[in-house]
Amino acid sequence: MHWLRRLFEKQQAEKYLDAELRDHLERQISDSIAAGMPSEEARRRAHLDFGGLESIKQQTRESHRGNLLETLFLDLRYAMRNLQKDRRFAMVAIFALALGIGSSTVVFSIFYSLFFNAFAAKDASRLVVPVIQNTENTGPSGSNLEPLTLHLADLDAVREQNRVFENIVGYIVEMVLANDGSQMYQFSSTRVTSEAFVFYGMPPLLGRGIAPEDGKPGAPPVFVMSYKTWKGIFHEDPKILGKILTIDGEPRTLVGVMPPRFQAYGLQAQIWIPLTRSRDTPRAEEESAAAVLARLRPGITIEAASADLDGIVKRLALLHPDDFPKHFATRVQSATDSLLGPQGGRTQFHSDMKHLLYDLLAAVAMLLFIACSNVANLLLARATVREKEMAVRSALGATRGRLVRQLLAESSVLAMAACVVGCLLAWFGMKFVPGIVPSTGDLYAGGRLGTESGFGLSAPLFFFALALTALTTLICGLAPALRVARTDLQPQLAGTGKGVNGRARHGRLRAALVVAEVALAIVLLIGTGLMMRSFFLLTRVDLGFNPKNVLFVVFSPQVSKNNPSVSLQTFASPQGLLLLRDVAERLKSLPGVAHVSIENAMPGYSPSAGPKVTVPGATHTEDAGIFACDENLVPTLELRMVQGRWLTEQEVRTAQYVGVISQRLARDFFGDANPVGRQIQVKAFKGPSEATQDAEFQIVGVVQDVVSAGPQQPTMPMIFLPYTVRGGFVFLLKTTVEPASLAHAVEEQVWAVDRNEIIALATPLEDFLQRFTYATPEFGLLIATPLASISLLLVIVGVFSVMAYTVSLETQEIGIRMALGAQQGTILRMILTKGAGLLATGIVLGLSASYALTRFLASQIWGVSATDPWTFTAVAAFVVAVGLGACFLPARRATEVDPLVALRYE
Amino acid sequence: MAQEKSEFLKGTLDMLVLKVVALGPIHGYAISQRIQQISKEFFQVPQGSLYPALHRLEDRGWLSADWRESETGRDAKFYTLTRKGRKQLETELVYWERLSDAVALILRAAE
Repeated sequence: MHWLRRLFEKQQAEKYLDAELRDHLERQISDSIAAGMPSEEARRRAHLDFGGLESIKQQTRESHRGNLLETLFLDLRYAMRNLQKDRRFAMVAIFALALGIGSSTVVFSIFYSLFFNAFAAKDASRLVVPVIQNTENTGPSGSNLEPLTLHLADLDAVREQNRVFENIVGYIVEMVLANDGSQMYQFSSTRVTSEAFVFYGMPPLLGRGIAPEDGKPGAPPVFVMSYKTWKGIFHEDPKILGKILTIDGEPRTLVGVMPPRFQAYGLQAQIWIPLTRSRDTPRAEEESAAAVLARLRPGITIEAASADLDGIVKRLALLHPDDFPKHFATRVQSATDSLLGPQGGRTQFHSDMKHLLYDLLAAVAMLLFIACSNVANLLLARATVREKEMAVRSALGATRGRLVRQLLAESSVLAMAACVVGCLLAWFGMKFVPGIVPSTGDLYAGGRLGTESGFGLSAPLFFFALALTALTTLICGLAPALRVARTDLQPQLAGTGKGVNGRARHGRLRAALVVAEVALAIVLLIGTGLMMRSFFLLTRVDLGFNPKNVLFVVFSPQVSKNNPSVSLQTFASPQGLLLLRDVAERLKSLPGVAHVSIENAMPGYSPSAGPKVTVPGATHTEDAGIFACDENLVPTLELRMVQGRWLTEQEVRTAQYVGVISQRLARDFFGDANPVGRQIQVKAFKGPSEATQDAEFQIVGVVQDVVSAGPQQPTMPMIFLPYTVRGGFVFLLKTTVEPASLAHAVEEQVWAVDRNEIIALATPLEDFLQRFTYATPEFGLLIATPLASISLLLVIVGVFSVMAYTVSLETQEIGIRMALGAQQGTILRMILTKGAGLLATGIVLGLSASYALTRFLASQIWGVSATDPWTFTAVAAFVVAVGLGACFLPARRATEVDPLVALRYE
Repeated sequence: MAQEKSEFLKGTLDMLVLKVVALGPIHGYAISQRIQQISKEFFQVPQGSLYPALHRLEDRGWLSADWRESETGRDAKFYTLTRKGRKQLETELVYWERLSDAVALILRAAE
């Protein structure tokens, strides 16, 4: 009740003040009466003498230093009144700050939700993902770092032997077919170890999550559904619990629906199924290895956990050497790093969100500084105009401190208004964020990175915006306020109040601010320019094929009890080949499909460097990718033949040992000679039905190089062989319509052939390119480009206002010059030179800063040097043009000065 | 120029008030009367200057104040010089002497 007492004290003080003044009045009256004045006259004189009682009270009150809050309130009210008088200034300042605060809040929200709020799990900061590094294969940097997968028995061993994890769980992501008796569904499903849901610690929306008992052998088979699936496929049916679906040929009961934010264990998982196993289940060889998620015990560091894990896994590797690389190291990564770091996807995907976010945060800090210095500049200009007001206030007894506080109050009113507008802008801006956050690279788990992050305005963001507001208040208001505090205000009263002295120093401060603005904007523009150029180069990479209108259909037998040996070679069996042809025929008959090709790779990202190849007589071998395909691959992908011919239908059907080699392979082994008709040997060739052995193929043609490790990586040697020799399970459909629109029809055709055994994943090839390669740089660009544009806009405003102000200060000088015969051109040149000087200084500083800073952008740009001279030159030229444009208007105005008016100006 | 004069007066008034209060506890009206008398009616202290000055001096801790019964039997606010106030008065007096010496010197030199 502090404020109550304060209020009471204030009332008391008022009462005493009143009493004191009344006492004085009474005494004066009684003295006058004693001196013989008539009482009426005495009273009148005394009142006259006193003047306004209220005004004396007010003056007396103000002589108290008073409490801080009270004067703050007064200052704010006064500031508001002042700003209302100068609406145009207030609007420009609020607009500039709002852009700065708004952009900062948006970028911070992305940063916050991905770095600190990316997982809905309890104690998410202690979640770690074990990774394994193959130290034998020293490929390009970090390319051999992968998430560790473990057999369930090994997972149990790690759980028992470690001393660093609170718990560790495993999960296996797969595609399943589900059947509810009337309808067929294809789900992205995750089988989880039974304690995984307790581990994650998120309560379900309906029913229950998977419980540890569900993993015991003989437990009733159950499953849990994601919110999105419940909503999208089952229309939020409230009575869905208890529904039975036949999944994997086994009827399972739905026991729970998870809340919207839960998206653990597979970024696209639609259903979760418990892994059933007991302690003594033998280490089954056909069982797929599980991905791993662990939580550190409190106080355990990443390093300690890594050391402990590495020891355990190395011991496991001694027992099961086939499951691990010959030389490797394991360690743990925080779940956030694993999600955002360069190793999050695989290296060919080049998704380094972590550093991108740091860069964007730095960019937005620069933008905020530009906005602040813009407003500081406007405030300084205003301060000059108001010097006389300040002098009068100071003469009337306002202390310097009070004046400084007054100015800070004004900038804080501006900043608070800007905070409100900025939060609104941020709110709009953030609506677009979830749509542009890139996804990770997993083929099946192509979910958005932020699937589990809570994007949106939250309490931490609100505090962030408030902190920014306080910061901007200080940055904007301090320069002009300190200036007032430092200058001698006395001459202001003596002179005309135009503030002649101190003007030069004043001008220098403003010029310095503009130079800083220009320099920062240059850094932002160059950074964005580099990203743009890099993205442009990336999208212009010659892939060697045309991904447009190609539907990629992965086609695989379902993991089920009827079909225990799941192998990608399955389709090479005689019935498998028949099945493939059957499906291919059906797909070809679909309207909108031009070509169908059977093959085994995802163009652009595979095949990876495979077996060693050589030619008879050659002394060296090379790692080559093997692309198994049929005769239709050339029209489907629009491959370009260089020499010879492509595989014929006859050769594919009869499984001839013939091949087409890539240009690079041809050059490496044959130089300028014609390779057609020569032999090529593949070491340790693994055909579908034969044992591994060296095999020779006759070269029938040479095709232009095809990208196979993402557009950023150079092409590698490649051989195209008939899929009947090698095995293939992927369909590529060249369509004449939008490929995604065919996905459903494709599913139906596949199921028409075999309703229960096959699952398919149909995605346009361009989607993969987008997701794996373009999404992250595009995301960076989509954020950086607005930031750079806003900074440019603010700089234009800044340069314009400082020049306009300079011109208005020098009107008199210009008038004199013109009266003495200066030409308009001379005046124009004089003003432009001044502006050009500012710009030039800013540009030189900006270019040097960029030269030093863009290396931090190196992980985000590709195909272009961080100090790319073209980008530097282009940005500098652009800023010169735009900056001079901003100077030109005020300069023109200067030439239109009428000397007579100008001389009478003051 | 009016403001400058009041600025000049403000400092002087503070010193005069301190000096008067130094003679013993006294209320506002009496202070104005005393200054008027001693200066032989030269200084007319307007209430609009006196009370802000009194409150300012009190606020700075140079004067202390309490309500007590006055000679007329009515309660009045009596001001007393504090130890801090006495020090302040001394510095102001020193300063004032120096200033008037300097002014006198200048005036004499200018003759």
